[in-house]
Amino acid sequence: MKPFTYARPNSAAEAVKAFAAAGRDARYIAGGTTLYDLMKLGIERPEHLIDVTAIRGLDRIETGGDRLRFEALAPMSAVAADPVVGRDYPVLAEALAKAASQQLRNMATVGGNLLQRTRCLYFRNGAGNPSSVGVYPCNKREPGAGCAAIGGLDRGQAVLGQSEACTAVSPGDWPVALTAMDAAVEVLGPSGARAIPIAELYRLPGATPHLEFMLAPGEMITAITVPKTPAGRRSTYHKIRDRESYAFALASAAVALEMEGERVTRAHIALGGVATRPWRATEAEQMLAGQPLTAAVSLAAGRAAFAGARPGRHNGFKIELGARTVADALMIAARRSA
Amino acid sequence: MPAAPFPERERIDARDKVLGATAYAADIPLPGLLYAMMVPATTPKGRVETVAVEGAMQVRGVVRVLTAFDFPALPGPPPTPATEIAYRGQPVALVVAETLEAAIEGAEAVRATYAGQAFVPLIDSPGAARELVQPKKAGNAQAAMAGAATTIEASYVSPAQHHNPMEMLSTTAVWRDGKLTIYEGTQSASLVRANVAIALHLDPAVVEVKSAQVGGAFGQKIPLQRQTPIVALAAILIGRPVKLVLPRAQIFHNAVFRPKSRHQVALGADAGGKLTAIRYDADHQQSRKGTLEPGYHESPPRMYGVADYDGTAAHVRIDTQDPGAMRAPYPHPAQFAFESAVDELAHKLGRDPVAFRLAHQATTDPISGNPLSSCFLNDCLTEGARRFGWERRPIAQGAMVEPDGTLVGWGVAAGGYPANVSPTIATLRVSADGRTRFAVAGHEMGQGIRTVIAQLLQRELDVDPARLEIAIGDTAAAPQHTTASSRGTVSVGAAVTAAAAKMRAAMAELIGQRSIAGNIHRQLATVRRPFLQVEVSTLGPGQDAGALDRLRAGARAAAGPEYPQFTSFSYIAHFVEVRVEPSTRRVRVPRVVSIADCGRVVSPRTAASQVRGGVVWAIGAALREETEVDPRFGGWLNADLADYVVPVNADIGDIDVGFVDRPDPLFNAVGSKGLGEVAMVGAAAAIANAVFHATGTRVRKMPLRIEDLL
Repeated sequence: MKPFTYARPNSAAEAVKAFAAAGRDARYIAGGTTLYDLMKLGIERPEHLIDVTAIRGLDRIETGGDRLRFEALAPMSAVAADPVVGRDYPVLAEALAKAASQQLRNMATVGGNLLQRTRCLYFRNGAGNPSSVGVYPCNKREPGAGCAAIGGLDRGQAVLGQSEACTAVSPGDWPVALTAMDAAVEVLGPSGARAIPIAELYRLPGATPHLEFMLAPGEMITAITVPKTPAGRRSTYHKIRDRESYAFALASAAVALEMEGERVTRAHIALGGVATRPWRATEAEQMLAGQPLTAAVSLAAGRAAFAGARPGRHNGFKIELGARTVADALMIAARRSA
Repeated sequence: MPAAPFPERERIDARDKVLGATAYAADIPLPGLLYAMMVPATTPKGRVETVAVEGAMQVRGVVRVLTAFDFPALPGPPPTPATEIAYRGQPVALVVAETLEAAIEGAEAVRATYAGQAFVPLIDSPGAARELVQPKKAGNAQAAMAGAATTIEASYVSPAQHHNPMEMLSTTAVWRDGKLTIYEGTQSASLVRANVAIALHLDPAVVEVKSAQVGGAFGQKIPLQRQTPIVALAAILIGRPVKLVLPRAQIFHNAVFRPKSRHQVALGADAGGKLTAIRYDADHQQSRKGTLEPGYHESPPRMYGVADYDGTAAHVRIDTQDPGAMRAPYPHPAQFAFESAVDELAHKLGRDPVAFRLAHQATTDPISGNPLSSCFLNDCLTEGARRFGWERRPIAQGAMVEPDGTLVGWGVAAGGYPANVSPTIATLRVSADGRTRFAVAGHEMGQGIRTVIAQLLQRELDVDPARLEIAIGDTAAAPQHTTASSRGTVSVGAAVTAAAAKMRAAMAELIGQRSIAGNIHRQLATVRRPFLQVEVSTLGPGQDAGALDRLRAGARAAAGPEYPQFTSFSYIAHFVEVRVEPSTRRVRVPRVVSIADCGRVVSPRTAASQVRGGVVWAIGAALREETEVDPRFGGWLNADLADYVVPVNADIGDIDVGFVDRPDPLFNAVGSKGLGEVAMVGAAAAIANAVFHATGTRVRKMPLRIEDLL
């Protein structure tokens, strides 16, 4: 555990300034539910921590107007419990409520959660440090070192979006739901504020799996916006895992539907637990448009979502499981009243 | 013979535990305490060439770094840092510092270099060395199998698993005035004392071990823990108390674990559908020098009164740390295999699996030829079937389907576990001022042994329960035999019974013909006697005084399950309902009924908790838990609680627990057998059998996961 400096600015502007002053090896910290773990495991070794939790007025949940807006420091548990979100956008509330444990959701923020790093066993347990013991090469931890997960115990690894360098799964639930719902992210950085579609926040691993987010150094997420849509009420986040709660997804699907009668007019579908980034299932969405939603059509859409999937050694089941998860999610969403 | 059932009483330690007031070993405050962190080997096998400690010594707050060169040379595998690395994660150095943070930073700065060697990571890897042990045979199974009308044969696999009690492995050592005191969570305080003395060339008389509260153990804390002598030597060399709490990943790599095991079972039945022949070959993962026996033939021969039994067992030696006992170490994997096979045979015979088992009441132990002291397994099966509603079960698979397509299955399986006992040396002091102190061997691991002792004492003597001190887990109080193998209640039951009888005799002598009112304390006050103290020793059936010598020396002194005149086992029957999701095939276990025969139930409340806990363990084992090795690297890959998947509350449904509660007539005066281990035995098979009933898919390995049913 390397010593680090610690600052606790009172505004977002001050935080950005503190980051710029601290330099490259600085990290923002909010709930600390990921970063402290990674520091103990010898993966993150920051020189400077900039604690943003003293910033006032950056935790509002706004549900009026033509979009939802969640400020970055809102706890996951607070957004999950918001009555409007729960009623009109169950996909968002469920994605939050099915993540981690209540204690962690009370600490973790909706902004910080977007930047959660992978749970790949070889990434987390391989830094050869007293808290992790294992020594596994990992291109994400150490660019150019190689990838131990490829050819290894890859049951949990991605079947979509993986590269020769990395198969690590993007672990989140909330980012998957936001991806399905066309969210955008507001960021503040040294060169000012900007908004980016969530689809552009996440990189594919390619040859540079250590680069995960399209954020410039010192940029801080300040808010998340979700355009309102009538599909919100007919939505769900369906998550399949090795136990009923407190586990990451083997496969998950965020689904929202606009329907006319039995017929789908527009589908939103994103996948979690199976891909190297939150994964928009565009082919499945297109296939569903104009179709009556039957069990067979749902399963066909699920299969379409995984048409480009490539199995590893032990994770081939995720392709069938993922397709069925999408199918079940579609049927659950369709049963909800608009 | 105390025939009457014991009353339900609350746990005497429950309030403190709920309030967080219970102090575990790592909670003991000590002035001048230093903090330590272990440096794990980063190679799976080899020799340490250099250990550079300079970087660590430069970290502010680091006091000392201990390496292999600080320890006396020992014959055999040393429990200290060593230059020969037998497994990944083995201790290479210990960094001691003024703060935990400095100790961690120092440990990260220690640099070791290794000359690596080729290693064998898995039992099916090339180079794994198979080593047969003495077979277990009765009658002529080969002939019986040849004459069988119906046979089945199948292979089953039980994975490597880790105990993961909530309390981390930790050691705090104090060296003061030539005496070493060790505080740690252990099941074996006297064994720790004896082995630390050997490792550090100390007289055992100067070592005391205190383990008043243990935050879960399950077998992990039976042997000497790897870190204990290392921390003890650090305290001696530095002259200040030293505390080490091992990080969870280091516990995975250094603690004992349940070895992976393989089970080939063949069963034969005669034309009348009677089970007549059992052939069972088992082997398990073993370290190069490990000693955990492949004792898988404990329970299967003692279940169904089959005279012809042919069992072989083997170690498969590879490069790993030593495996050890984990809750129901042999009967859990053995009965998973055996009770799955029994289900397969019953299915092949077209028989109901409960009726099939009921037709096989065991009365004798075919291995020893002696009678079983008691076996009420059929009562367990009958009562369990009644509570579960078993008579409504269709015999066909996949016959119970919910409107949404959910497949429902009902399964049954039984378990047995040896009834063991250890000798005891105990001291009972009753004082006129109302206090009572009872010192005996025992470790409170959460199973409720203090509650059991209080329950027994209150039945025997009119002592004030509010002022009762139960001194256990402390080598200064009494010799502390290992508390394991479900021996606790039986052993302390003998000690309390004997001590109470001696106390009553002493009181009678003191009081003579007088009639004195009030409880025992009042009576002592009346005759102006400040206290009465008696010391007793007890032995298991057939044991001689040599057992007491072994007890005092911290060696193994227990007996069972084969005694000179009889063999003793506890039994249980589990009934399980599973629900398998139609599409994504998640398996849920909404209800379980478990009925145990553990002889007389001494503490109904903690006994029921033991069974519920055992069933939860089995749900974890059957559906979730496996510690995994990437053979290219060795060590354990999923070495944390996020990725070693144990059940959470949401995975557990109703668990209805019942007891036959009939005293064993031969085994001991209280009539009790053991419970903590048998609680889980067979439950994993009941789950797999229920999954077969629901889906028609027979999964012959644990854990049974979504992908096995897709």
